[in-house]
Amino acid sequence: MGLTPGYPSSVDGPMAFPSQAWFDEFRTHINASDEYREAAADWEGDIAFLIKAEPDKGVPTDVWGWLDLWHGECRGAGLIDEARASNAAYGITAPYTRWKDVLLGDLDPIKGMMQGKLKVRGDLPTIVRQVRAATELVRLTGEVPTAFPDEAR
Amino acid sequence: MRAVVVAAPGAVALADVPAPAVEDPADAIVRVTTAAICGSDLHFLHGRAPVTAGDVMGHEAVGIVTAVGNAVTRVAEGDRVVLSFVNTCGACWWCTHGQHALCDRSRVFGAGAFGGHLAGTQAEAVRVPGADANLLLVPDAIDDERAVFLGDVLPTAVASAAMAAPAAGETVAVVGAGPVGLLTAQALLGAGADRVVVLDREPERLALAGSSGALAVDVRERDPEMTLAGLTEDRGADAVVEAVGSVDAFGTALDVVRRGGRVVVAGMYAGDVTELQLGVWWARALQVRFLGLCPVQAWWEAARDAMLTGTVDPAPLISHRLDLDEAPHGYDLFARRAATKVLLRP
Repeated sequence: MGLTPGYPSSVDGPMAFPSQAWFDEFRTHINASDEYREAAADWEGDIAFLIKAEPDKGVPTDVWGWLDLWHGECRGAGLIDEARASNAAYGITAPYTRWKDVLLGDLDPIKGMMQGKLKVRGDLPTIVRQVRAATELVRLTGEVPTAFPDEAR
Repeated sequence: MRAVVVAAPGAVALADVPAPAVEDPADAIVRVTTAAICGSDLHFLHGRAPVTAGDVMGHEAVGIVTAVGNAVTRVAEGDRVVLSFVNTCGACWWCTHGQHALCDRSRVFGAGAFGGHLAGTQAEAVRVPGADANLLLVPDAIDDERAVFLGDVLPTAVASAAMAAPAAGETVAVVGAGPVGLLTAQALLGAGADRVVVLDREPERLALAGSSGALAVDVRERDPEMTLAGLTEDRGADAVVEAVGSVDAFGTALDVVRRGGRVVVAGMYAGDVTELQLGVWWARALQVRFLGLCPVQAWWEAARDAMLTGTVDPAPLISHRLDLDEAPHGYDLFARRAATKVLLRP
């Protein structure tokens, strides 16, 4: 899987999802996106993503990812522990497969939140108003060369 | 007489207590031949009901009627009976509309002040107020070990299955493979559910679920939500019965049910608190129904008939048969989830 031309990257091959390297690469793509910067211009607040374990899919334990999003910029990204996740302004929880569906474009995140497939901690209306930003974030995940654990086995 | 009493918070002991006697013309005295320890006993013992030292524990029992008040007409001395764990007046609007547990005069055996100070059944004998409404004759074809399930667990399971209302072709999930969950799975299969999926983390209990014809899923190995999604073209279960009584189990039930699906909450709750997003529940058009205390009297004949026809059989759930004196050990087994169902013989 190659990168979209014109976007900077720190790696050559696919990165495992979820991993620190994957979030680092995602951050790079977010900060390179004029579309995201414009769409999320009024967004303030970091988001913790709980990727729930699915041992039969190669994700043996829960993993918390994190994005510090601030007025169109991603100020930080990576894997964090549960305690730090609980301090994030927003939390979104789903099994690994749901996140994979989001990354592959098979699950619209806003619809997923309204259907309870992605469970939100924090003010739901505030998040779902950010449709353009969410859409752009999902599009950007598609630019991250990703290796899914259940496909590597 | 000997009885199992609360000794201290979280602990039981065997004690000598006064034998019960007829106090009201509607009373019966039942000599207990088999009692049982229920998960609810542990809830009561560990603070979900205000039991106090000296209270006699237990709410499940089968036995022989040894005395009746002069107003009792439906049972007589020598009858073999099972008692309803929830004791009701049998005559009010609630009792005549199949909602006995909501009767203003309802009480629960062995539940301290919460249950109206009605002495429990883990004893050599028990007083049953309102005997006509609260005792069921046991047919010869049902032995004591099976009959003891008719006073609580099996009617709860049959009622839960009926509330889940499985239609042909539907997939129903049961959260928790304790006695209620396992018997609910049997009742659901008997009621026509196409597929019943039992979720738990205890291998022995999952094996029991599997042997009854359900699909047993170890939630330590497979995510419940994605498992049900995988079985239903990503919809989720058509109906779910939550048979644990914990916030986590309730959350799992909501995770695995499909949009527009039905959730039956059979597990017991007291002071538990959970956060819910009304907009998401509304958007998902969820139908959530709380069973509450089972109105046993509305369901025990159906439960009895299901047992007689072989649709359900609680016998495989019995993991331990102990003398009454061994009750503290039985409670310990139950608390450690090392037992499925513990029977006590006075």
